[in-house]
This record gives sequence, structure tokens and C-alpha cells, in this order.
Amino acid sequence: MANQSGNAYALTALFPIRHGVPSEVPEGLAGQTHTACVRYLLQDVLRVSEDSPMARVPNTYLSRFCILLDVPYQGKPAVLEHLKSNYLVFEVNFHGQLEPYLEGMWKAIEPEVRSLLTYCFGFDKVHDTASFIDYVKKCQIETTFYFNGSTDEPVAVQLKNLYLKQELSQFVYENQGKSAAELKTAFEAFVARTQPENIEAPTWRPGAYSLAKAVVGQKTMGAGAQ
Amino acid sequence: MITELDLEDIQGNIVKAYGRYGFPLARFVFYHVDNAEKGRLFVQRITPLVTTSVHWSKKLNREIPAVAVNLAFTYEGLKSLDVPADTLHAFPDEFTMGMKARRAIVGDVGPNHYKHWDPIWNHPDDPTLQHIHIMIGINGKDPNDLEASYQQVCGILNATGGVTQLKGHRGPNGAEDLPYQPANALAGGTEHFGYADGISSPYFEGCGEDPRFIIGGGKPTGLDPATAAGWEPLAAGEFVFGHADESEAYPEAPGPPLFSRNGTYMVYRKLHENVGSFNALIEEEGRKFGSKEAFAAKMSGRWRNGAPLAGYPTEESANRFAAELSALRDKSHKGTATAEEKQRYGELKLKLTAYDYTSDTEGAKCPFGAHTRRTNPRGALQFGVEKPFATPGALSNRRRILRRGLPYGKVEDPSRDDGDHGIVMMILNADLSRQFEFVQEQWINYGNDFKLANDKDPLLGNHGKDENGRGSGRMMIEGDAASNKPPYFCGGIPNLVETRGGDYFFIPSMTCLRMIAMGLVDPT
Repeated sequence: MANQSGNAYALTALFPIRHGVPSEVPEGLAGQTHTACVRYLLQDVLRVSEDSPMARVPNTYLSRFCILLDVPYQGKPAVLEHLKSNYLVFEVNFHGQLEPYLEGMWKAIEPEVRSLLTYCFGFDKVHDTASFIDYVKKCQIETTFYFNGSTDEPVAVQLKNLYLKQELSQFVYENQGKSAAELKTAFEAFVARTQPENIEAPTWRPGAYSLAKAVVGQKTMGAGAQ
Repeated sequence: MITELDLEDIQGNIVKAYGRYGFPLARFVFYHVDNAEKGRLFVQRITPLVTTSVHWSKKLNREIPAVAVNLAFTYEGLKSLDVPADTLHAFPDEFTMGMKARRAIVGDVGPNHYKHWDPIWNHPDDPTLQHIHIMIGINGKDPNDLEASYQQVCGILNATGGVTQLKGHRGPNGAEDLPYQPANALAGGTEHFGYADGISSPYFEGCGEDPRFIIGGGKPTGLDPATAAGWEPLAAGEFVFGHADESEAYPEAPGPPLFSRNGTYMVYRKLHENVGSFNALIEEEGRKFGSKEAFAAKMSGRWRNGAPLAGYPTEESANRFAAELSALRDKSHKGTATAEEKQRYGELKLKLTAYDYTSDTEGAKCPFGAHTRRTNPRGALQFGVEKPFATPGALSNRRRILRRGLPYGKVEDPSRDDGDHGIVMMILNADLSRQFEFVQEQWINYGNDFKLANDKDPLLGNHGKDENGRGSGRMMIEGDAASNKPPYFCGGIPNLVETRGGDYFFIPSMTCLRMIAMGLVDPT
């Protein structure tokens, strides 16, 4: 199945955005459409990287939201066509199966999901985890492209690996040339500090792409390796 | 179809690295145009002095001139001379914006930021504006000829008016207000860190230079890099507008076609060299690594005497090579070399460039992160394969740049960074974004293409500092499985080179210079 490759699942869902003007709009958007409200949320309210709500959804490799306004017309002899509505496009690559992932998503960020999807057709039928899963499945289309940047491991394991890789390279730079005894002592301190067996912490913060914001569970990179 | 170039129409600095023709001195002079009409008159009067790319040959009665003069314009410069809006609008964003505005891409942040540049590069009212309009470069062999040529240019300026020669270049004490940027080759052809410089340069179709330079200077064919079969010239359009490039299309350039044909872009960068930091680094790391010279070589990819690590992995072999080459060069220049020695000299010179990394796929000789392997990978970007695919330069043929430059200043105290010494670097290419900026952003200030994460070029990288003020630069020097030598990890590399000025320039053809001067550019 094209949606799945190894343990990676690629979900593409197109949520149809309602026509017209919503009865309740965020401040400053009076008279603006449902689409404008979705765009406002994506651009001004929901944060990105480590502050993104999606960073709190377990097992997320990569996710993107965007708005599809229409299909472009390429000129004659192509046929001029239009979509019946605007769509909120949701792309996500994650580890595992679809239903448990969506369950985790609903559990982790239900308020944010509601704030966005409330502007979409059919979301008024969603009232719990099961109906959310049904709704996403109805809007799902087959995915054939994957984000090629992950191993097949669960995300928590990958984040720990990433953290350990950075720490180990720092360790190498700081300790090369030492005697076997010194190296052993330093490595024991390294293991005690980085806790390779502990997946939870210290580890790489989900969504973080810069070292400065990356490590959770400890103060700074290499702090113990003086 | 072999491309033939109209060398009489192409400015000389595009084809010729003047250093190779024995021009050790230069002055780079910059101007602001106050009055378009007078500015065009100035260009008109300077144009006849401009040196072209025509082949210099005693036989053809075309002797090497005493000085070489070249002319280039910034975007604002072309605008100031009333080049029509339709033509100006067809320039790509990077040229229109100028180098300062591209600082995030180029790496001119932190100590490289324009607030640290020589005052001439910053407009007195607003440092973000492009203040410099015209650049004239004068290269010479003899100081008197250089001065005479400079005075001739000054005379033209005085006569035409309407153009201001800008001061504001720093000199040895850091506070001078020099009216031009002087530059001069150092004894032995090195730059201030002591590396032999200007060894390898791209060779392109129709350039008219000695075809022996194709070996090591062209693009790799996948055959033996030590022979002519291993290389062929790069497409002319990589470096000159109006000719097909490596994608078999004309490079994008503004119209009318005659305006851009035979022109190119030049990046001018004044790069300060932190000699004290460099010496301290090679001293300290060299001690740990085992040899100061070997460490310096691993950073560069060449020994400081010029011998490439790929061909001369040991200090002893490199020294032997350099001594023999230097002795033969002396004899050859004095005319006392025997036929046998001449042949040997030719063979040895080839060793400087006629190589690639197919026998060094693990980086045991030349590290993947070394400066020259990064900036000119010689078809070595295909990892994990014995024989790289059918087009071995596929990932690098469109990232080649011509380097023209000279050292400036003098190192008074090799233990200090301050003073005014470095390299005036000029980089020529037909696409600033695809060539210069890509190399600068991806190959110098990043390491992903070499599987080196975010390690930067040890010599040119903008490494930044950690919280203790120590340089954050890192370099891994690969070990050698054959001799059981472990890799060496060098951390704490500070910025060794810092930007002190520069911008993007357009070098027009002779035809275009005359069109600009006459106000005849008509894009309709």
C-alpha cells in the first residue's frame, strides 16, 4: 500500500473548508471567510518547530499544513476546472499505524485540532476520538511521496539517537588523546549524564532544529564534559 | 561544435589570471557616479584603455602589456549611467540586491558583517545602500607603470568630472582613508598563511589559454585524471554570457542580447586573514596531530608549498616534489634547462593539478573537509561507489568559479590578527546564485554534501564562537585504515578569514561598454 513504507505511514488529508463567512471569527477578521480564518490560525496563532502543536503528537516525523485554493489552469487545450471548495491540506509522516496515531493526536492537541477544523465541512459531526478518526479517513487521499529523512525507528528512539550522536561527537572532540584510564573515567561520566538506555531523557526536543533549543532533560550540550 | 569566443570583445580578467602572466601589483579603484552624462563620458574615455582577453603572443606581435585595466559596474552603477529600466529589471535578484543584502546566504554575518567592513563599502547616509557604482582594476608589473596608468585614469576623471573617486579603504594601521585598494603578490606566490596560491583554475571552451591547463582545470571525463583524456573544457556559458553552458542552454542574462553577450559577473571580496590565529592553531593542533605542516596541509588539501595531498600524502614526498619543481622552474626561467629538464618540468607542473580523488575515496590522503576538496571536488561527490557514474562531474560542473585575486597588505607581527592584510578575492561566473553563492553557502559554510554534518571549511568558514568565546569550528581529519591511523578531530577552530568589503559587479563586453557610454542600450 502506497500510504505505508516499512514502519513509516504517510497521511495526506484534504479537509474541505466551508463556504462563506463564519458566525464567530477571531478578532480583526470580521466579515472574512472561513478560509481567511484558517490561514490566520496557520500563520499567526499556531507556532512552528519545537513550539508547534504537532511536536506534541507522538511519533510525528514531519508534518505540514497548507491551503489549496484551486487547481491551476494551464491554458488551452487543457480544460478549465475548479475545485468545489478550498481545502485545508494536512500532510504528515509518522511511525506506526493510522488509527493509533490519530488517537494520539486527538489526545495530545484536541483544542488546536478543533480550532482549525471547526472551519471545515463535516467537522461538526466530530465529538470524540472515534469520530475524529472517521472524519480524517473520509478526507484521506492516497500518498505516494515520503519525507526521506528518517530511519524506521519510533520517533522517541530517533530523537534519543540524534541527541546521543551530537553528544558523542562532542565527547570525541573533548577527549581525544587521553590515556585509557582518563578516557574510561570520562566515558563513564558521559554515560551517567546522557543515559543511553533512557529513551525519555535527556533527549532531543521534538521539532527542534537548532542545537541551542534541542536538548531536554539537561541544561546545555556537553555541560558535564569539562 | 567547438565554441569559439570573440576574445577581442571579452575583458581580459575573465580569461586571464594576470598573476600567471607576471603581474604582481594591482590597484582597485571605486567610483560613485554623480551625473549620468558625465559618467558615460568617463566610461567612454576609459574604455580604450581596457585590456581584452586576446591571446598574447610574441609571434603574433601581441606582447604582454605593461598594465592591464578592467572595468566593472554594480547594479546601482548601471542605473546611475541610465541603462534602461527594462534591461535593469532583467537582472537576477542576487545582482540587484548586492552582496550585503545576500549576507545570510554568503555567510557575511557576525565578524563578517558589513558594519566591520572598510568604510568605503558603506554609504555615509545608510550603510545598506549600494554606494559604489564603478570599479576599475589596474594590474601591473612595474610600480612606475602602475602609477602612470593610475594617473592616466585620474586625469580622465578630472577632465570629465561628474564622477567621484571614493576613498575609505583601510591601510596598515586600520584607520587610513586610502583612495584605492592596493594589492601585491607576496614573495614565493603565497598568501599570508603561507599557502602557495592561484594554482588551479577552471578551463573553459574557447578561452584561448594554453590547452595543457585543461588537465586538472576542465571537467572530469572519468578517464585517467593524470592524462588529457581525463578532462575536457567546461562549457563557455558557465563563465561568459551569450554562450551555451553545461545545461546546453544560454545562461540567463538581461537583454538586449548584445548588452550581456561576452560579459559576466564578478564577486569582489576583501578578505582579512587572521594570521595570528592561524599560526596559533597550526602550532597547537600540529603538536597534537604530529606535524604543524601536515596539519596545515590537511586543512587546505595542499601542502603550503602547493603539492596536492592526493598525490603527495607525506611531507617528505611533498618537499621533494616542491624542491625539484622550484629548481626546474628557475632553470627554465633562466633558459638554462636542457630538453630533458624542460620535459620533466612540464610533467611536474602537471602534478599540481592533474589528479582527482578516485584513489582517495576514504579521505585518508586529502580529508573530505579540506578547503580545496570542498570548493573543487573534482568529481568526488559520489560516495560509496568504486567508479562514479557516467558523468563524474555531474554534481560539480555547474558549481565551478573562476578565481582572480591577489594578496594585500603586509603582516607586521605573525602572532597577531590585527593590521590590514589578506586577499582581494575576485570570483567570476555567469550565475551568482548557482555558482558563487552555492559554493559559499553549501560547500564553505556547511558540510552536508561531504557527509560532514554542519562542519564548515576550516580555512574560510564563518565558524562562530561558543559561550566561552572559543571558536566553534570543527574538522575531522580522516584516518587511514591501511596504516591503522585513527582519525583526528580538531575542534575550537576560530574564524581565520573575515570579510572586509565587497559587492557584486557586472563585467561588460567591450561592445557593451561602448553601448553604455553612448547611451545606446535599447532593450525594446
